[in-house]
Amino acid sequence: MIKIEDRLSLLNYKIDKSYEHITINPSICETCPDHFCTFACPAKCYTLIDEKLNFKYEDCVECGTCDTACSHGSVAWTNTKGGHGVKYKFG
Amino acid sequence: MIKMALEIIVMIKQVPDSSEVVIDPVTFTLNRGAARNVINPADENAVEQALKIKDANNDTHITVITMGPPFAESALLDCMAKGVDRGILVTDRAFAGADTYPTGLTLAATITKIGKFDIIFAGEESTDSSTGHVGPGVAEFLGIEQASYTSNSWVEDGKVFAERQLEDGVETVKMEPPCLITVLTNSNIPRNATLRMKIDAMKRGIETWTLADINLKPEWVGLKGSPTIVKSMKSIQEKKRAGKKFTPDQMDEFVDELISKGILKFGGD
Amino acid sequence: MSEFDVIVVGAGPAGASAAIRLASNKVNVLLVDRADPPGSKNVSGGVLWGDSLSQVIPDWEKSNMLERYVEAKGVTFLTKDSKISIDFRSKKFGEYKSGYTVLRTKFDAWLAKKAKDAGAMVVSGVTVDKLAMKDGKVIGVEQSGETITSDSVILAEGANSRVAYDSGIKKKPEDQKIALGVKEVIKLPEKTITERFGLTSPKMGFASEYVLGFLDGGVKAGGFLYTNRESISIGAVISMGDLRKNNQTYSFNVIEQFKDHPFIAPLIQDGRVEEYSAHLVPEGGMSVDSVYGNGYMIAGDTAGLTFSNGLVLQGMNYAVVSGILAADSFMERKSKGGDMNFENYQKNLENTFVLRDMNNFRGLDQVTWSESIHSTIPAIAEDAMLNIFSENGNPKKHLSQIVISSALKQKDKRKDLAVDLYRMLRRM
Ligand SMILES: Cc1cc2nc3c(=O)[nH]c(=O)nc-3n(C[C@H](O)[C@H](O)[C@H](O)COP(=O)(O)OP(=O)(O)OC[C@H]3O[C@@H](n4cnc5c(N)ncnc54)[C@H](O)[C@@H]3O)c2cc1C
Ligand SMILES: Cc1cc2nc3c(=O)[nH]c(=O)nc-3n(C[C@H](O)[C@H](O)[C@H](O)COP(=O)(O)OP(=O)(O)OC[C@H]3O[C@@H](n4cnc5c(N)ncnc54)[C@H](O)[C@@H]3O)c2cc1C
Ligand code: SF4
Ligand code: SF4
Repeated sequence: MIKIEDRLSLLNYKIDKSYEHITINPSICETCPDHFCTFACPAKCYTLIDEKLNFKYEDCVECGTCDTACSHGSVAWTNTKGGHGVKYKFG
Repeated sequence: MIKMALEIIVMIKQVPDSSEVVIDPVTFTLNRGAARNVINPADENAVEQALKIKDANNDTHITVITMGPPFAESALLDCMAKGVDRGILVTDRAFAGADTYPTGLTLAATITKIGKFDIIFAGEESTDSSTGHVGPGVAEFLGIEQASYTSNSWVEDGKVFAERQLEDGVETVKMEPPCLITVLTNSNIPRNATLRMKIDAMKRGIETWTLADINLKPEWVGLKGSPTIVKSMKSIQEKKRAGKKFTPDQMDEFVDELISKGILKFGGD
Repeated sequence: MSEFDVIVVGAGPAGASAAIRLASNKVNVLLVDRADPPGSKNVSGGVLWGDSLSQVIPDWEKSNMLERYVEAKGVTFLTKDSKISIDFRSKKFGEYKSGYTVLRTKFDAWLAKKAKDAGAMVVSGVTVDKLAMKDGKVIGVEQSGETITSDSVILAEGANSRVAYDSGIKKKPEDQKIALGVKEVIKLPEKTITERFGLTSPKMGFASEYVLGFLDGGVKAGGFLYTNRESISIGAVISMGDLRKNNQTYSFNVIEQFKDHPFIAPLIQDGRVEEYSAHLVPEGGMSVDSVYGNGYMIAGDTAGLTFSNGLVLQGMNYAVVSGILAADSFMERKSKGGDMNFENYQKNLENTFVLRDMNNFRGLDQVTWSESIHSTIPAIAEDAMLNIFSENGNPKKHLSQIVISSALKQKDKRKDLAVDLYRMLRRM
């Protein structure tokens, strides 16, 4: 079993330092009963650290899953711009 | 403050995307694959720096040039889509195999042919050969002032100012145009092109120049004009290092070990 | 006057096919993709089934963008300890086109190049924000606050349809309408692949779908394993509803469980993982109220023209066909000088296998994602096989008796099974 972190390290990203294409609303996450995003996101962008939800957009592969997965309206999802984000070699 | 209509030239190079050269998580070996081409990262910052000066000085005109193969066209178009006015691709079979000397000469000849200019921007270095020679080389060929490794630059009352990042601080230099500035990687955040500007850039298109356009002799350029000869290449063999583990409660032993190996020394004697 | 006749949003198989078709017919077309180069954000398992691409690229089979021609097709049920599979090989795969495995990043870049060569303006690395509307009609696209005008827009932005959502022509999907695909590309020597899968030449390939009936926590997922020239594409398509119900399995671990299965591990042994990727897969057929409106048409995954149900995984072929039909529908309207309200596109779709397949299989996903397919049937089959092929000292029974007695062990599931079998038969 290859750790997800190692699998993600294979990917090429052109990270947009000026724009976070996904944001969450921490006050909604604080009271979230399921934290389903942490299970659904295939790139482990959502993690619980000391019971607090932590989100990092840099590893995102732009699948759109979290937008559906979060049923509490915390996720504000947009596309990356200007060719930024993940850049697959095979796809 | 008097605003100036400036002529700016930016030199860019297309390089293999260095982030596509990755480390295999299992074998920990380098896995190069077939990396795609991108604009040399520092050159993206150089273009952005030029655009910032254009933003602040109306009627400034920017030309971006590259010496490279025909498919480098896309790199020039990308720059034009961000606000660069003109793109020139200098391409000729005769340029193949150039080292930094004829590369600099070819670019200097191209700039001479373009004519009037106030500032030339280049990246600090390329990610594929990383010599950092080309920018300064061009300045020498043209006999103009230069400022290297800059993180910011601007124009004030007809003078060009640049901030150079040095080991022990920042140095601000003041130059008379025309001059050349090399720009540090990540010194700014390059802007995105809009769809409108991409379409306009494609409609305008680039210019293609060959050796015949820049008044150089074939023996001065490419491999023939290159004084460097690569005799051989070696990859570095990493030495096997012995490892030893210490737990937090073995700190005394750890320090003793460091002292006995001569790694840790105490001052005074 | 509009700046373009048509703007195509998205250079996947749907958008690129549309653009090639239009440009080849001298239509002034702009093809925009948010990835640079186009294709570098796209993921498929990767078998392009059928021959639809020949309608826009007649000699497409000569392209070196194709990996292997599928000569062996499998359907496999995996339980924790066993594998039950159909390994279908046929000489008829010469006459009847099966499909080619492709790797999307390469393949899509090639399609976009074909569009450019045909005369389309291809712009990459720009994200379209919205459809531009005026008086209830689409008049182009909006990007960074600017409008680029066109007589009509073909929307082919894929499953994660932000432009459609933000333009109010598609609702965000519910769990049943979407699955999550995760995939790895595993490098292996060409020769090893050819030998390991018993293929007749390095140009020939193997493709199999799997029912993964053994996953931790009973999560339901379909697996796939396809051979490329020098790599294997392996992955899992995970039901969103199921993952949510389970709420303890990490999506990124499902594929690892699949790879570690005792009957899968040997197939990828000594391979090196080269890439990990993930993408949404539309499920359950059409996902928009209408595939057209005034000034626009919707093609491919954006319209939900994908046939995925955990057992079958096809979308590229439907994308290609719908893209071509959208292009043709535009030209039909244009030549008649008519308005740009494309009910002809809907009709054209109905006349091809695209919408017929979607209708035929509507509801079948309830079956393929069901308990029966994922655990009951495999358990019965496993038990029956064990009975047939093992010596337990008892006299051998007739096959039907074995199956019935194995089925009886799954008593509590019998009613569901009957319902599912009925649904399946009615649809097929
Ligand atoms: C010892 C040695 C031997 C070499 N031998 C060969 C060889 O045999 N064949 C061969 O093809 N290459 C060879 N190279 C590589 C070649 O010298 C460089 O690719 C080329 O001269 C540019 O230098 P650089 O990439 O180091 O650029 P740098 O000096 O690191 O680049 C600085 C900046 O200069 C500008 N710039 C650089 N190149 C261009 C360009 N082409 N067009 C526009 N602007 C540019 C950019 O702004 C760039 O950011 C060799 C390099 C070395 C060090
Ligand atoms: C894991 C997995 C395995 C699959 N396996 C198979 C298989 O084996 N066979 C098969 O036939 N199908 C398979 N599919 C389904 C197939 O991938 C899709 O059905 C197909 O890609 C749909 O094509 P499309 O052109 O509609 O959309 P996509 O291929 O998704 O293309 C959409 C394009 O639009 C671009 N885009 C998106 N938004 C914007 C915007 N705002 N502005 C500009 N551009 C935008 C994207 O960059 C992309 O290039 C699989 C899918 C997955 C996820
Ligand atoms: S993003 Fe949504 S699912 Fe995740 S913790 Fe926040 S509220 Fe819960
Ligand atoms: S879009 Fe996909 S990869 Fe990105 S954060 Fe959401 S679930 Fe994770």
